[in-house]
Amino acid sequence: MDTLLTADVAANSPNFRRRSSTYVDAIHDLPEKEEMAPAQLYSTESGRLFHAGRIVIATVGLPARGKTHISVALARYLRWLGVKTHVFHLGDYRRATVGPGNDVPEDYFFVNASPSSVLLRNKILKKCREDIYRFLEHENGQVAIYDAVNAISAGRIALAKEFQKHQITTLFIESQCNDERIIEENVRNVKISSPDYKGWNDVDAIKDYLARISARIPHFETMEESDLHWIKMINAGEQVVVNNCAFGYLSQRIVFYLLNLHIKSRQTYFARAGTTNEEDSYKADASLSQAGRDYAVKMSDTLRAHREKERQAIIDKGGPDNALKPLTIWTSTRRRTIETADYLAGLGYRVRQRSQMSQMNPGVCEKMSEKRIREEFPMEVAKHESDPYHHRYPRAESYHDLAVRLEPIILELERENNDLLIIAHESVLRVLYGYLMACNAADIPKLSFPRNEIIEIIPASYNNVAKRITIPDLPEFMVPGSPEDIKIPVPPSGTVTPFAGLGSPARGISVTSSDRLSVRPAAGASEKEASEKAGGSVGLKKHVHPME
Amino acid sequence: MIMTTNGVFRPEMRRVPTGELLKPNRKTNGVGVQAEDTKICVVMVGLPARGKSLIAQKVVRYLHWLSIPAKTFNVGQYRRTATPNPSAEFFDTSNPEGERLRKAAAEAAVNDMVKWFSEGQGLIAILDATNSTKSRRRWIQDRCQAEGIETLFVESKCDDEDLIMSNIKEVKTTSPDYVGQDPEAAAQDFRNRIRNYEKVYQTIDEDEYDLTYVKLINVGKRVVINQIQDYLQSRVVYYLMNLHIKPRSIWLSRHGESQYNLSGKIGGDADLSERGEAYARALPGLVKQSAGEGRKLTVWTSTLRRTIQTARFLEFEKLEWKALDELDSGVCDGLTYAEIESAYPEDFRQRDEDKYNYRYLGGESYRDVVIRLEPIIMELERSENILIVTHQAILRCIYAYFMNVEQERSPWMEVPLHTLIKLTPKAYSTQEERLKADIPAVSTFREKGSSAKHQEGDAA
Repeated sequence: MDTLLTADVAANSPNFRRRSSTYVDAIHDLPEKEEMAPAQLYSTESGRLFHAGRIVIATVGLPARGKTHISVALARYLRWLGVKTHVFHLGDYRRATVGPGNDVPEDYFFVNASPSSVLLRNKILKKCREDIYRFLEHENGQVAIYDAVNAISAGRIALAKEFQKHQITTLFIESQCNDERIIEENVRNVKISSPDYKGWNDVDAIKDYLARISARIPHFETMEESDLHWIKMINAGEQVVVNNCAFGYLSQRIVFYLLNLHIKSRQTYFARAGTTNEEDSYKADASLSQAGRDYAVKMSDTLRAHREKERQAIIDKGGPDNALKPLTIWTSTRRRTIETADYLAGLGYRVRQRSQMSQMNPGVCEKMSEKRIREEFPMEVAKHESDPYHHRYPRAESYHDLAVRLEPIILELERENNDLLIIAHESVLRVLYGYLMACNAADIPKLSFPRNEIIEIIPASYNNVAKRITIPDLPEFMVPGSPEDIKIPVPPSGTVTPFAGLGSPARGISVTSSDRLSVRPAAGASEKEASEKAGGSVGLKKHVHPME
Repeated sequence: MIMTTNGVFRPEMRRVPTGELLKPNRKTNGVGVQAEDTKICVVMVGLPARGKSLIAQKVVRYLHWLSIPAKTFNVGQYRRTATPNPSAEFFDTSNPEGERLRKAAAEAAVNDMVKWFSEGQGLIAILDATNSTKSRRRWIQDRCQAEGIETLFVESKCDDEDLIMSNIKEVKTTSPDYVGQDPEAAAQDFRNRIRNYEKVYQTIDEDEYDLTYVKLINVGKRVVINQIQDYLQSRVVYYLMNLHIKPRSIWLSRHGESQYNLSGKIGGDADLSERGEAYARALPGLVKQSAGEGRKLTVWTSTLRRTIQTARFLEFEKLEWKALDELDSGVCDGLTYAEIESAYPEDFRQRDEDKYNYRYLGGESYRDVVIRLEPIIMELERSENILIVTHQAILRCIYAYFMNVEQERSPWMEVPLHTLIKLTPKAYSTQEERLKADIPAVSTFREKGSSAKHQEGDAA
């Protein structure tokens, strides 16, 4: 579903933000129930953390400067930390108010707009602001991100004053680009995927967009107000100027995150490591088997062919014949992940090992069968089943521990300019996927990454999209399970899980291909999905059990 | 093959530090800051009395606390060896002998730093000097680049005269350059010295667009950050932005003696004992005595009863932090040490062996505590005049941060009950004063290998 509908609902229904019209990326949903976020260190009764109070983050900048991208990325990070955050795109309200297929009047963005345009503008602003107040004052929200142009200094001062009346601090984030290439790339990669240009072809959309920027928003004043709190990002983070922002832990944390963020678009791919010969053990660091090495080659070739195909598709659509972005590969320091990348390293790709990306430590449960774990630690198993995300077995790590440990990786993930292939253990992929797709913490341990699929995360400014690339011709035995998966988390009580990756299936239990997909859309959708898969992007419904 | 021309990373596309591929990595230090093979030289830039040494010293302390090996190379110290008590003329740039000696000191410091890196001892070096000219900075940049060391220039720029003068009086007249001299004359000499530097001082500007730098203007009122290259640099910048150089103190206290302290149990959420109650009543007087009349503090407590009760007679604003709650002792919560020793003998032994990294079954380790205290440390750096009422393990970690206590030693430090600790960060070290309330309490300190009752009261 598209955002138009979301926006349409936005203008009319006060509860729009509780439902998402898409199962692609939950960043625009409000969680239904209160629960700890993936990397949240503690909770409070008010739901507000770090004694930071309530904050509105208002974006400043002309269109195609990456404002929406910054807004959504920041929301993703803050939610990951457990800060209740929501993004309010003024554009959604604008589109919803004028209705589909219509546009705002020509002078809508002018300083000296006609009275009717001013009236319309005020109506749209009022609706958006009302939602912000409701979120911050009645829904325990802590950070509202107000995604708008905010072009005029006087307007920004008035905005901060108005929020101040409600004891809300305003922090402005300006994205400024002097580099034309960044702007054009932004228009191509980000803007023409926006609902404003649904159904347009690329070239026209870019032309229209650039013309619209200069004609319709002739007045823009960069931030210089020394009394306001602001952060200015120049040329996608090349330089960052921070003014008067020492008002709290959270504001500094935001700056820290922005230092690692850039607004250039790139892909992220997730793949599993190949299989090994030896009996799995966390401590033993086994090499790949022959089958594992075959897997590495097939996986790599599938990915390379896919990337080339995507590039060709852009050219066919009238896009430029640009070289592919360089691809960097991150592995953990475990031998099997490094060796899975060997083939690509041999082809000249750059491989980096990241020690934080090592799998969850299984603690005392290492090498124990599920049965024995149940016998020896019945209490622990019960605790684990009630909260698989936060519970840790004796001497082991929980998913929460893993998420906290992976925070630098997440910041570097944002920092990386090249396309990125991450080869890691399933537990690590779950947490990283959970960040990129804004999954609830409770769902993260259930995500499944079968070995015959590469997951591609395509960043779009409104929300990320995940897509599966099937690796053909893999031997059946290799696909379903997670032979190197540690024996925890154990599956829900009693029975062996029907989903691989929800735990390690007992040896010899075959898992059929239709029911191992817990990151997939509901079972009923599988046929439709299969046909879509050939064509292109597939919206992944997170955490839906085929059983439901 | 198509891919070799299109998708393959080639070195000229983006500068890659040499030797990065497939080199064995350093182990993660467990707090999420992995530095890989990055070597960073943090180069301080700024006129004297702008808080450079304070910043340098704090960065080192913070990095140590996060288990990142770091070291300061103070050019002034190299110069002092040659010229112990220089007069203002020494710093006059028209004095060729002074200029030559200063350049030689800088060379010596950089050489030692390069040697330190090449021995694989460290990840971050801090070059503490004024580095006040573009040519000096370019020279450092070139030297570091040749050695494969990244640079991060940190300029502290301040034109608030009051702030500069207070910094001179507070800090500089206690500097080793002025040992045994009259403070007034020392301050005067220092003003002259600054003037000599001001003549040649060049702030970092557009000419140096290619450098990675952070410019802190008027103690962080405005910050300009340029060309950050990697995560570790951003982490250092993040920390720097939280610093201020205004003089202040921090007061630390454990909660008053609790019912659990009396029975020798660890953890829990017990009320204060009678003597603990007496300490709570005595605390306002103790604080007045230490902080002086009329000084406004902010009180931070944990969310547990014993700290809230201890702080309740203080007439200051109070904030409760979940992050200040005692180390979680998991299954051992509510047990005595003797009970733990008999129920979990293996754990008891393991904990003594490596107390910093030991994690209670279902609970936390000191290392875990350090991670969750990071927001507290950042907030402490930003704030002035805070009084923290918290628990033994938490106090040990906070104390270790300010006093630069080694990791292995910090979990074994004695932090007695019913004592107010005042810490005052200075440029060259942190000063400590302890004020004991005359109220007896059980000792909760447990020595290695011991399990005697009435020793350690918190899960520490």
